[in-house]
Amino acid sequence: MIEFTINGRQVSLEAEPDSSLLWAIRDEAGLTGTKFGCGEGLCGACTVHIGGRPTRSCITLMKDVAGADITTIEGLDPQGEHPVQVAWRDLQVPQCGYCQSGQIMTAAALLKDIPNPTDKDIDAVMTGNLCRCMTYNRIRAAIHLAAAAMRGTSANG
Amino acid sequence: MANDMFPPHKRAMPELGRRGFLVSMCAAGAMFGFPRRAHAAMNPEAPDGLPIEAAGERYEPAIWYWIDSAGKVNVNIIRAEMGQHVGTSIARILADELGANWDDVHIDHVDTDPKWGLMVTGGSWSVWQSWPVYRQAGAAGRIALTETAARLWGIHPAKITVENGIVSGGGHQAGFGDLVAKGITRSFTADEMKTLPLKPHGELKLLGKELQALDIRTKTTGQTIYGIDAKAEGMVHAAPILPPTRYGCTITAIDDSAAKSVKGYQRTLKIDDQSGTVPGWAMVVADNLWAAHKAAKLVKISYDIKGNAQQVGEAEIQAENQRLIEDPATGAVLDTGNTDVDPVFAKAADTFAATYTTQTVLHFQLEPLNALAFQNQDGVWEIHTGNQWQSLCLPWLQKALGVDEDKVIMRTYMLGGGFGRRLNGDYTVPVALASQMLGGKPVKMVMMRPDDVRFDSVRPPTMSRLKMAFDSNKQVIAMDTAVASGWPTKVMLPAFMPKGVNGQPYDPFASDGVDHWYDVGAQRARAISNELAESTFRPGWLRSVSPGWINFAVESFMDEAARHAGKDPLQFRLDHFTAAGRNAGSAPNAVGGATRQAAVLKRVAELSGYGQSAPPADTAIGLATTYGQSRSMPTWVGGAVQVHVDRMTGYVAVQKIWLVVDCGTVVDPAGARAQIEGGAMWGVSMALYEGTEFKNGQVTDTNLDSYTPLRMIDAPEVVIELVESTEVPTGLGEPGTTVVAPAIANAIFAAVGVRMRHLPITPEALLSALQTAPKRGQV
Amino acid sequence: MLKSIFYGLAAAVIIVICGFSIYAWHSSLPALSSSARPQFDAATIEHGRILTAAGYCETCHTENGGGAPFAGNYKMATPFGTIYASNITPDPETGIGLWSLTAFRRAMHEGVDREGRNLFPVFPYDHFTKLSDPDVDAIYAYIMTDVAPVHEVTKQPEFPFPLNQRILQAAWKLLFFHEGRFAPDPAKSAEWNRGAYLAEGISHCGACHTPRNALGAEEPGKLYAGAVIDSWTAPPLTSANPSGVPWTVAAFSNYLKTGSDIYHAAATGPMGPVVHAGITQLPDSDIAAIATYFGAIVNAPESDPAQNPAVLASIQAGQPEPDYRKDLGERLYTSACASCHYNPSPTGIKTERPDLGINSSVRLDDPSNLIHAILDGVPAADGTHGVAMPAFRTALDDSQIAAIAQYVRTTQAGLPPWQNLETTVKSVRDHVGTH
Repeated sequence: MIEFTINGRQVSLEAEPDSSLLWAIRDEAGLTGTKFGCGEGLCGACTVHIGGRPTRSCITLMKDVAGADITTIEGLDPQGEHPVQVAWRDLQVPQCGYCQSGQIMTAAALLKDIPNPTDKDIDAVMTGNLCRCMTYNRIRAAIHLAAAAMRGTSANG
Repeated sequence: MANDMFPPHKRAMPELGRRGFLVSMCAAGAMFGFPRRAHAAMNPEAPDGLPIEAAGERYEPAIWYWIDSAGKVNVNIIRAEMGQHVGTSIARILADELGANWDDVHIDHVDTDPKWGLMVTGGSWSVWQSWPVYRQAGAAGRIALTETAARLWGIHPAKITVENGIVSGGGHQAGFGDLVAKGITRSFTADEMKTLPLKPHGELKLLGKELQALDIRTKTTGQTIYGIDAKAEGMVHAAPILPPTRYGCTITAIDDSAAKSVKGYQRTLKIDDQSGTVPGWAMVVADNLWAAHKAAKLVKISYDIKGNAQQVGEAEIQAENQRLIEDPATGAVLDTGNTDVDPVFAKAADTFAATYTTQTVLHFQLEPLNALAFQNQDGVWEIHTGNQWQSLCLPWLQKALGVDEDKVIMRTYMLGGGFGRRLNGDYTVPVALASQMLGGKPVKMVMMRPDDVRFDSVRPPTMSRLKMAFDSNKQVIAMDTAVASGWPTKVMLPAFMPKGVNGQPYDPFASDGVDHWYDVGAQRARAISNELAESTFRPGWLRSVSPGWINFAVESFMDEAARHAGKDPLQFRLDHFTAAGRNAGSAPNAVGGATRQAAVLKRVAELSGYGQSAPPADTAIGLATTYGQSRSMPTWVGGAVQVHVDRMTGYVAVQKIWLVVDCGTVVDPAGARAQIEGGAMWGVSMALYEGTEFKNGQVTDTNLDSYTPLRMIDAPEVVIELVESTEVPTGLGEPGTTVVAPAIANAIFAAVGVRMRHLPITPEALLSALQTAPKRGQV
Repeated sequence: MLKSIFYGLAAAVIIVICGFSIYAWHSSLPALSSSARPQFDAATIEHGRILTAAGYCETCHTENGGGAPFAGNYKMATPFGTIYASNITPDPETGIGLWSLTAFRRAMHEGVDREGRNLFPVFPYDHFTKLSDPDVDAIYAYIMTDVAPVHEVTKQPEFPFPLNQRILQAAWKLLFFHEGRFAPDPAKSAEWNRGAYLAEGISHCGACHTPRNALGAEEPGKLYAGAVIDSWTAPPLTSANPSGVPWTVAAFSNYLKTGSDIYHAAATGPMGPVVHAGITQLPDSDIAAIATYFGAIVNAPESDPAQNPAVLASIQAGQPEPDYRKDLGERLYTSACASCHYNPSPTGIKTERPDLGINSSVRLDDPSNLIHAILDGVPAADGTHGVAMPAFRTALDDSQIAAIAQYVRTTQAGLPPWQNLETTVKSVRDHVGTH
């Protein structure tokens, strides 16, 4: 049994120590907002926050998160009103939407670290998140929009 | 395309069947997930996916929707949602005609049922096909409400307006719900529906209005329910073991002794598939997904392999393409008017020819293939998955399970990417069979990515050879095109293939694009099926299908031919858009024909600044134009791409893309732009960054470590201009893709003087071409 | 004549053997039952708890992968063979429950157990000999009071003959062991001396960070020069450390208090528990003292990290390039690593975004630490506590990991490529560690 916190609640999950955190989150904890895309940390669909840091859960081992504090897309904001999520809706970013949980989790952490990101900053941090519908230009615009909102400035930042 | 895809209209409102039992989550896992949906269709707006329930009385003017006593309008959508926001587009078409308040409108992506007729989402058809049908349905409702109010208030129907959910006239007013509550029985025959008066364009209020698509919110909160999220009480997990080749394998022995040490492993099933969809498959069953996949790696299986697919690689497939093209007796000859090109070529003063090839491309839809199957308490087999062509795979499921049509139902989920992969529902068959072998117990299969890729129905390796004949004035007098590839439709739905003028069947999805709108005199277009490809793997329909790779050929060739004749590539094209004869177009779908294609090409040249100022060194704009997916439903696209070529590294920087798109009426502007832009980026990706190869009967790149689709840092700026139009709305899912690769190739030529005729255009190939190319100034 | 020489030599040999045997032999000390043991006060026990943590006794004396605390059978691979740490719970039969304080002191200070047998120097008594009597007593108090007795027989060491003969340990001691309490250096500050006392004593840093000779003894002239431990590298704690930004007192302090330092490294692998189960239990003043001690050894000049050329070069090299597909390592780094490891500017580097160009693991001559991190990630319990790095063992093959490692080494750290890197990746991947 491996114990940790998900979205603020203590859980104790039955899982092999070398098994993937992603499937424990999806199947044992029943939180299916986090997605599986490649299984090798190269698409970002599985991104959660561990200790507040964006982490690819598909290749994070259960034994390595004992005692950790995990946040999934469901827990990013109780009402789904995180500025990144608001910006995502304002610009209608998602198409099929499958990658967007991972995109949003990565973007939310990006803006915590880099409140006024340049396009190069966005390239560097977001290129690990694949979007097969290729909504990239709207993702970029939404990050700028959310950044401005979080800084309390106008959208023309 | 057949127009009788939709079922004859019923007089009376049909009794909808009782919804099935609740599909609940495993109790242990129900901690803080959202309450699970009762299956029976999918409402992407709702966190639990549940369609809305009707309050009180319900009026159903057509099978496509109902209005309840609270005034809610629930629209039934038979199309799969995979990012096109198709439910919203269709619902707004209906709501606009009906006069509903958009806030009262909800959608329901329905499960399979014969009453819906053909269920397919592809070909960029959805909005185009739905436009007349849902408008008629909306009109029916509007008329029924009008007549009901007229009777109620004792006034003439002409004095009544229906707008924004309110019916008013003669000082009276009522909401839709009020009237429905009073009981409406007006019904419409199929013939009546077809002749109902529709609103003139100017009266459509929702059309072109910016609205948030109904599936967006849940996609930002992790609440959208995809096939991979499906659950059933008591389900077991199955991991597939794929045979060494797609066809020809039979399992001779299974040794699961090592797998038995995996905690949770149950058993390995040898799948016996009467439908021939998944020969040689085994399914490893376990308590959970992790155990199933871990155990699957330890199971040893022996096969008897028939055929020589294991000796077939990319080179062999292309060699066969070439052999087929060079054999004049092969293929179907499409009806392109005067197809008698041989005598014209024989007398021509000059000819020019070029051959273009493309490498195998993967779908790589981000949600890997998956399905959940079980037999419900009514004895019906339920398949829970995202799928684009339920009508195609239901017969396979029926055959595999050995049951009649009324014993299989596909439950609808959202798709984490379709791109044509989910048109081929082969992945459902082994799951249904595994469930059957376990007595109908729920079995869930999620493919790991390498298996998903190996099981992909790829865009096969293609070859196109184009020839043009000129007279002594360098005027074009004939064009002869031959295209060869593996044909998906031949493999999966041969009855769908029309016949060419030589009586041979052809796959439209392996030949569309070849029948262009240029006036070239005599024109022969030959489409050839590569049976070596078809026996090695299952070719598929991949976003933009043949217009993707054939237009790489045609639009590169038009550039090359123009230069060969000493003409400017833009003017050369415009000169050949005479819109004469068969290229004049036709109502309702291709009004204006080649004039509309010429218009978008001219406009994109203007928009991009093509030919205006001298660009920096090794930088140029390339043009291309296509008619989207099909002559029967053209979407006119003009594309311009500016690239810079690094002569030292061969790196092609795609600096900017301009697209001018005439798709007729624009129903949903935001969605339209999203689809066009996404399609354009697919075009860049397939031109420069994507391509794998067959080797020993399998593709060599099975995951993102070596298959490299376009990422954020690769994404170019895309400028899109939509032509204002009131013509019928045509498709947008794919047309954006079709112009990009040739525009890039044309730009590269203009920039550094080398002609790339193979996709993907790699830095290595470009460098190699630069080294062997004649110096600038020479031709 | 020859006869007398022969007899003389024989006599000398006999005297030496007798002398050595007298030297090597230790008496067995009487057993002391728990009822006869004195009671210890709470302050002493707590003091002992902290010291026990600072010596990571539990980490080494508990079975790998989780056994009863302090009950032994921690398997350690040494160049001489495999040994299992003993049971030091107060169990009377299989642990040290019958040991008197005298016996415990003798073990800690002289490397001899209660029955008089020489202990293998895998147990770092050559460091614990420096501990003061009160400190040793406090550890005894803690173990005897607060550690639960566990009945577990310690496995015999797997050393080949004659290395398994404990009497030979006496020879080793003769050559290499200097018994005696820590002697402060009057020329140094009290804080330095406190740090030296802890580092050289209970925390036995040199046991991992000082290279050992062929007979397994720390080389006296190479204090803290760095060593390979179980396929990991314990870096040099001297000015020979290849860090881009120098290890200052502040850097040591930060690293030892939190498990990572913004300009240097994260403590994982064998160093993980050293910090999180060990040093962090010491009071801040003690951690500061250890930092002072090592800071003095490195003796780095003060400088502004944000102006450091290695930092500037790393930030510059870490900027994403649109033609990133040109090199396998660059492409994989851009797709898999940059998301977490990118920093926008020299002043914007964050501990949680470990900059790889200045990271210790990339700058060492030995790539093993970096390879370990890529293969197996960093657990939330290690490094920056609560933060985890995922594990690419099943995601990437040896050539891909080598490509990524070589890419960060040559472009971000700007250092010469590692040789035979793919071979090293394979051997690290195949290694079954005991730490």
